[in-house]
Amino acid sequence: MKKKLICGMMTAAMTAVLLAGCGNDASGTSASSGASAASDTTVSESASDVSASSETVGDSAEPVTFTVGFDAEYPPYGYMDEDTGEYTGFDLELAEAVCDLYGWQLVKTPINWDSKDMELNSGSIDCIWNGFTINGREDDYTWSDPYVDNSQVMVVSESSGINTLSDLAGKNVGVQAASAALELLQSEEEGGQKALADTFAVLQQFPDYNNAFVELQAGSIDAVAMDIGVAKYQLKTRGEGFKILDESLNSEQYAIGFKKGNTELCEKVNEGLQQLLADGTFEELAEKYEIADMVCLEAK
Amino acid sequence: MIYLEMNHVKKNFDDLEVLKDISLTVEEGEVVSIIGPSGSGKSTLLRCATLLETMDCGDLSYLGKKAVTMENGHSVYEKPAVLGKIRENFGLVFQNYNLFPHYNVMRNLCDAPIHVQKRQRDEVEQQAKELLYKMGLTGKEKAYPCQLSGGQCQRVAIARALMLNPKVLFFDEPTSALDPELTGEVLKVIRSLAEMHMTMVIVTHEMAFAREISDRILFMDQGVVVVEGTPKEVFSSENNRMKGFLGKFRDK
Amino acid sequence: MRFSLILSQLGQGMGRTVTIFLLTLIFSLPLGLLVAFGRMSKNRIISRLTKIYISIMRGTPLMLQLMVVYFGPFYLFGLNIGNWRFPAIIVGFSLNYAAYFAEIYRSGIESMPVGQYEAARLLGYSKMQTFFRIILPQVIKRILPAVTNEIITLVKDTSLAFSIAYAEMFTIAKQIAAAQTTMIPFVAAAVFYYVFNVLVAWIMERIEKKFAYYR
Repeated sequence: MKKKLICGMMTAAMTAVLLAGCGNDASGTSASSGASAASDTTVSESASDVSASSETVGDSAEPVTFTVGFDAEYPPYGYMDEDTGEYTGFDLELAEAVCDLYGWQLVKTPINWDSKDMELNSGSIDCIWNGFTINGREDDYTWSDPYVDNSQVMVVSESSGINTLSDLAGKNVGVQAASAALELLQSEEEGGQKALADTFAVLQQFPDYNNAFVELQAGSIDAVAMDIGVAKYQLKTRGEGFKILDESLNSEQYAIGFKKGNTELCEKVNEGLQQLLADGTFEELAEKYEIADMVCLEAK
Repeated sequence: MIYLEMNHVKKNFDDLEVLKDISLTVEEGEVVSIIGPSGSGKSTLLRCATLLETMDCGDLSYLGKKAVTMENGHSVYEKPAVLGKIRENFGLVFQNYNLFPHYNVMRNLCDAPIHVQKRQRDEVEQQAKELLYKMGLTGKEKAYPCQLSGGQCQRVAIARALMLNPKVLFFDEPTSALDPELTGEVLKVIRSLAEMHMTMVIVTHEMAFAREISDRILFMDQGVVVVEGTPKEVFSSENNRMKGFLGKFRDK
Repeated sequence: MRFSLILSQLGQGMGRTVTIFLLTLIFSLPLGLLVAFGRMSKNRIISRLTKIYISIMRGTPLMLQLMVVYFGPFYLFGLNIGNWRFPAIIVGFSLNYAAYFAEIYRSGIESMPVGQYEAARLLGYSKMQTFFRIILPQVIKRILPAVTNEIITLVKDTSLAFSIAYAEMFTIAKQIAAAQTTMIPFVAAAVFYYVFNVLVAWIMERIEKKFAYYR
């Protein structure tokens, strides 16, 4: 009896942690509010461990940290620089610029994309800032103003003879696990592309784009679905041999995702983005990372 | 002086009665052999006497100090500290030696006196060397048990038991695991101990040997002492079971 | 990116990988012995509890355990887990490996002939002395091959640290590979793991030889 009981308790505890991690359901939210109270206490005790999600942002004499969670395998938005080994990218430089405005200390935390919600809800990171697609997740996070217009496209081998989305019928298509492209291809809602995905022979999920491109090159898959920005970067660095289909799967936007309800920090970052737009920094960075034709941040 | 006294010892393994009311008294300097067929309970008796096995009924004392007493028909053991003290009175030589394989001969002999009895290393090592000389093992100090023959191992085991200067030394079939040509060297050592009037209790299958060195012999069968007496009395006993047992030995 | 540059960046991650490896061993080897004692305890509650512990640690993926250790304090108790990432990895790995080591210790201890205990008892050794002077040295010799297996697995398991976003060597290799669209970092990672494990195997072999003086 005892053994069964303990077994049950352990299982329940583990399930609770995992379930809470996946969802923004009621239990998750209530737990988070408890945590923000806890983190506030920490703030008053030790200023060095301040999180930007607290109310002391900007007021404290000590440098306040602003922890950005990102997928370090997602160029050009967030990746490892080839010369310095530092994490860099359009999004991270933008975040750095916002931090400079407020005197925050930027902490770049490469996260496991699969557990991004747990990282955010538990307060390990302050936001997800990494080519984070709003569409389909509108209600799950507190979103900043959209700053990049991004569409999902198909990359194929130039010699494949595939020119339109309908040519993909019966083909093997790759997509990154837990990505916006995958969500799109599985969505049956308005604007979703489940019907298209159903025409594929296989919809193969990959942990990262490197894998996908190797398989594309090797011919074991015929196309890979991904963000246009990623596609352009991949084609640029890999050279000849690939092309992006003119027909895109959808049109969507990137923004910064904050924990649901953290509007204070979100507004602060929005203000910062406006300043960077006004002084030209935003445009400069967009050009540096060759996504100037995609940015969409509007002046207010 | 009575060195060992055990009275009315009974021992069951589940439903099997292994010892049925056995009493044994050993005087100072006495050599007592216990003989009998396999499964007669003689090894169990030895293990009860050396506190390796707990008895169900009966009492046990060494040099007048009680280790086990009888209360309401059951054996009651003294506290571990008391038993620990009583253990210092006896040593046991196992059938399969049970030397510590990771220690060399010298360390097998000296480790317990130094770390258990907290005696001086010099004095202990001196005693060990003398014992090894008596056992004919001089030069084997640094050897490991796996490098020795069975007979040599058993002589080391005897020396190890003697290092603690026991009052009573028990032998549990000390030559049963040995090749016949090696038993002689071990028996010779035991014989020399008998000549020095070491108090010993020996469980053995070596009939001739038991007859030669024992002051007294117990013949056990099916958990009881069938015949007890001097070697002469026991070997000339008219008891049928005793005669049957000896007959089997002669046939071999 | 030049190969030497890839190496220097991987070097940082290798440091982290080796740190996880060493700290896990330092904590899990003694902890495993403690768990083994619990498992063999005559107290039925203790032995049941440790049995359940071992069964959970061996029966669920290490990746999941790391997530529970790291995120658990927040989701279960609402605690701030800001600086807990690295300790959580060491705690998670140590708890998991202690369970495996415990079973290896147990197999070794239970394989010891009862005669060794009896001889030690007759010679007056206390229980502690018997275990640490007589039993444990012999157990170590017996379990070395099994322990070597487990240690080599640990070297490769360190890459699971990324499940709670700790960028050890393999994660950095993946990141470089993604940024440079090249497979070279993976080759370097493979070579690193292999060399590391060859070194581990060599050290363990030396230790086994040290114990080869007796049978």
